[in-house]
Amino acid sequence: MFATMNNMPFLLGDEVASKFTWFPKQASTFAAENDWLFFFISWICVLFFVPIAGCLVYFCWKYTKPKGEKAESNTAHNTPLELAWSILPSFFLVAMFVIGAKSYLNQRTVPEGANDIGLKAFKWGWSMDYGKGVVNPELHILVNEPTKLSMRSSDVIHSVFVPAFRAKKDVVPGRYNYMWFEADVASEKVSDSELAAAVKENIGGEWDYDKWQFTADGYRFYDLYCTEYCGKNHSVMQSVVVVHESQEDLDAWIKKVGKRDPLVDTPEAWGEKLYNQRGCAGCHSIDGSRLTGPSFKESYGNSRILADKSPVKVDANYIRESILYPKSKVVGGYTPVMPSYKGQLSDDDIDSIIAYLKTVSDYGKTAAPAKTEDEPSTEK
Amino acid sequence: MSSGSLPSGSQVRDPGYPTPSENYLTNSKGILSWMFTLDHKRIGVMYLIGVTVAFGIAGLLALLIRLHLLQPNGMVFQGEEANNYYNQVFTLHGAIMVFLFIIPSVPAALGNFLVPVMLGAKDVAFPRLNLCSFYLWVFGALFFVSALCASGLDTGWTFYTPYSTTSESSVILATSGAFILGFSSIFTGLNFIVTINTMRPPGMTWFRMPLFLWATYATSIIQVLATPVLGITLLLLIAERTMHIGIFDPEYNGDPVTFQHFFWFYSHPAVYIMILPAFGIISDLISVHSHKRIFGYRFIAYSSIAIALLGFLVWGHHMFTAGMSSLTTIIFSALTFTVSVPSAIKVFNWLATMYKGSISLTTPMCYALSFIFLFTIGGLTGLHLGTLATDMHLHDTYFVVAHFHYVMVGGTLVAFLGGVFHWWPKMFGKMYNEFGGRLSALLVFAGFNLTFLPQFVLGSRGMPRRYATYDPEFAFLHQMSTWGSLLLGFGLLVALVVLLRSLWSGKRAPANPWGGATLEWECTSPPPFYNFERAPSVGDPYDFSDLEWEAENERYVKVEPKREIIPEEQPETAPVHADDSN
Repeated sequence: MFATMNNMPFLLGDEVASKFTWFPKQASTFAAENDWLFFFISWICVLFFVPIAGCLVYFCWKYTKPKGEKAESNTAHNTPLELAWSILPSFFLVAMFVIGAKSYLNQRTVPEGANDIGLKAFKWGWSMDYGKGVVNPELHILVNEPTKLSMRSSDVIHSVFVPAFRAKKDVVPGRYNYMWFEADVASEKVSDSELAAAVKENIGGEWDYDKWQFTADGYRFYDLYCTEYCGKNHSVMQSVVVVHESQEDLDAWIKKVGKRDPLVDTPEAWGEKLYNQRGCAGCHSIDGSRLTGPSFKESYGNSRILADKSPVKVDANYIRESILYPKSKVVGGYTPVMPSYKGQLSDDDIDSIIAYLKTVSDYGKTAAPAKTEDEPSTEK
Repeated sequence: MSSGSLPSGSQVRDPGYPTPSENYLTNSKGILSWMFTLDHKRIGVMYLIGVTVAFGIAGLLALLIRLHLLQPNGMVFQGEEANNYYNQVFTLHGAIMVFLFIIPSVPAALGNFLVPVMLGAKDVAFPRLNLCSFYLWVFGALFFVSALCASGLDTGWTFYTPYSTTSESSVILATSGAFILGFSSIFTGLNFIVTINTMRPPGMTWFRMPLFLWATYATSIIQVLATPVLGITLLLLIAERTMHIGIFDPEYNGDPVTFQHFFWFYSHPAVYIMILPAFGIISDLISVHSHKRIFGYRFIAYSSIAIALLGFLVWGHHMFTAGMSSLTTIIFSALTFTVSVPSAIKVFNWLATMYKGSISLTTPMCYALSFIFLFTIGGLTGLHLGTLATDMHLHDTYFVVAHFHYVMVGGTLVAFLGGVFHWWPKMFGKMYNEFGGRLSALLVFAGFNLTFLPQFVLGSRGMPRRYATYDPEFAFLHQMSTWGSLLLGFGLLVALVVLLRSLWSGKRAPANPWGGATLEWECTSPPPFYNFERAPSVGDPYDFSDLEWEAENERYVKVEPKREIIPEEQPETAPVHADDSN
């Protein structure tokens, strides 16, 4: 009975083509239990609310009298009644509490042998660590297997929320927090032609997850949100969860994103992928516009003025230093908020990024000055 | 008993109308007579103006939020800094509403005016402290405004660390403002505790007080005990920011969750500071406008105290996902359920009061009915959040936003408005347009539901809170919510216009327009600056049997049997036994 409430026909009409739902799709072993409990509580609320609202309306209708008329009764207390309506609802409260606590304990107790994935949250993105140096913003897990997330934050409190799994846990700096879930619905893969068409249209720049509703590898996904306010881009600090049918499928994906395959990607192409996937694009543009960080356009090979007014040449060493120790040489006019990628990018990754940056710069040929806050643009 | 005419053999006891030299509003003139007044009624009026201005500012910020969220990519703020502007707007909206409006509104604006009058006293126990509280409110407000005008505030009103210890915005200015406001709150609470404890008139035992005073008393206990914790917490936050003492910021070996414990230890009781006075108002409104004794007086009185005490034990339910131990989390959930029982008791008692009463659907009654409907929804949705498993999904989503707006706006604001409409004739001596008042109640009710009901669904569907932009799938519900907020804003504007108009063109108010039996209705409207010449005799605060409606003058009056002060018949001068021989 409770399950049908989830699919009540939408009463307001055509605006929403699909049926009205309270919840996103149930995609984990927690979901059915959680939704059932939600509806259990809701029906109890209805059980109390309807008589209360009914009394309000009925009493107004029946007992509204002209001014000056006295009340029909002045009974002021009825102790058995008071005790009844104080004690009887308590049984419902105990039921809610007990069922909720039991489910919670289950959701809190990480099962033995769960697959462990590291998660790092930072302003404003996610890095999922699959071990052996493979780090990617997307969370890929195996269906019907418990997955444990070992989570840490490098700056402020964030919170991982996957609505489809009904799972949420804060990611707190200075400690590790753990959560687990078991996905029981695998992600579909879209057809190759659909994927190819999307790849063609999504040339350059970040992959538009909202538009395509599948990842760059063609998997449909579940949303993963940050749900603890963390500053400017809190609302765009999103990622996706993809549930793989089989271990082979998952391994193949991990292999694909883990390391540059010289047969597939040139360093420049791999660097561009990293630029789009690893959070660089969120703060550094390649078209010259000023975002949270300096634009990469006309960056490599040119000079920048640091916060202490000294100049620095943007060469391979500077780029490497900025990736690993971002707060050491910050360009003047920008705030030192970049997180470090130490341990998350291999040497080959950094080489590839440098190679990519070379492709968006004239490096030195025009000796164009770097664009800072006060200078007008002199770039082509 | 036909209404409108008085029973024969009775006389009317009514204080009439005040002269201009008695009327507290006009007994002394000039701006200085207000700035340095010690009259609790004038202080109450100044607070009323102040909190209304604060509400207006924060309300406009709310409309800005809702307009921005009309579109998934944000409609109002554009460009590179759009999200930063949005973050500052929601932070200021929350901080101004919580610290400058909701916490002070009922105790300071209505309580200051009513507490001494309901006690038949001339003023509060410490009138100078009362004025000091007001100026502390003003200074705290100025700090907030200056934080707004400086580099803004973008931490959320909850100031979670380490974001607040590292944010570039004006955290210190804003937290200093909150610190000062805390003292305003503490002094008000202290004043009321002493006043109610020591200045009740002869015959007014604890259980013969109006329930508004019970509510004020319970609120004051919380104000005095909890607010210092916030003050210390904010000082520690400032110390962390400036001196890196290493308490909340992990970079200096502090613990961010410790901040949350300290913060919520105050802020949860704070929400009971917000709602308990509202409960007090509703008890009086329902009883007076149903012209029937309040049902379950003792249960209501005790439940206020119970909420005040239990409210200190549940702060952890704001932190169920923060990483506390399972045992701690489960204990907090259990305690949270206990605190829901006293509130439910009140709702049932109010309904029982209406049963077989003689209801007048006046403006205050409309707001009171609205309160019961909206607060019940707010309270019931708290059950979903107090239950651990469901909270794992709903925490930090729009479900929480909807829940707390139902209890704070649908609860406290609606009760505050009901109280203002109820005591407006007493405070300003003018009657407002009833049709306009009831229209405002309807618009506020409809607009509020349209704004926040969709947000429950947004939350359960997974929309996180404090988001400047959102996924397109949430657009329809956001739009519904925005249209609702415009309707709500319009309804509030109607309420304001109705009240202000009454000051210019309203009918003169009698001493007792609604038929209340508590002491504030026994003095003129507005009261004389001294309230009562001598302490009035105390009756039962909810006994309406001797109040009659006098249709000719459109007022309620107390009737008592005719008395002769000097009897016509002279008594005998000789003693009765004078003729006896022995």
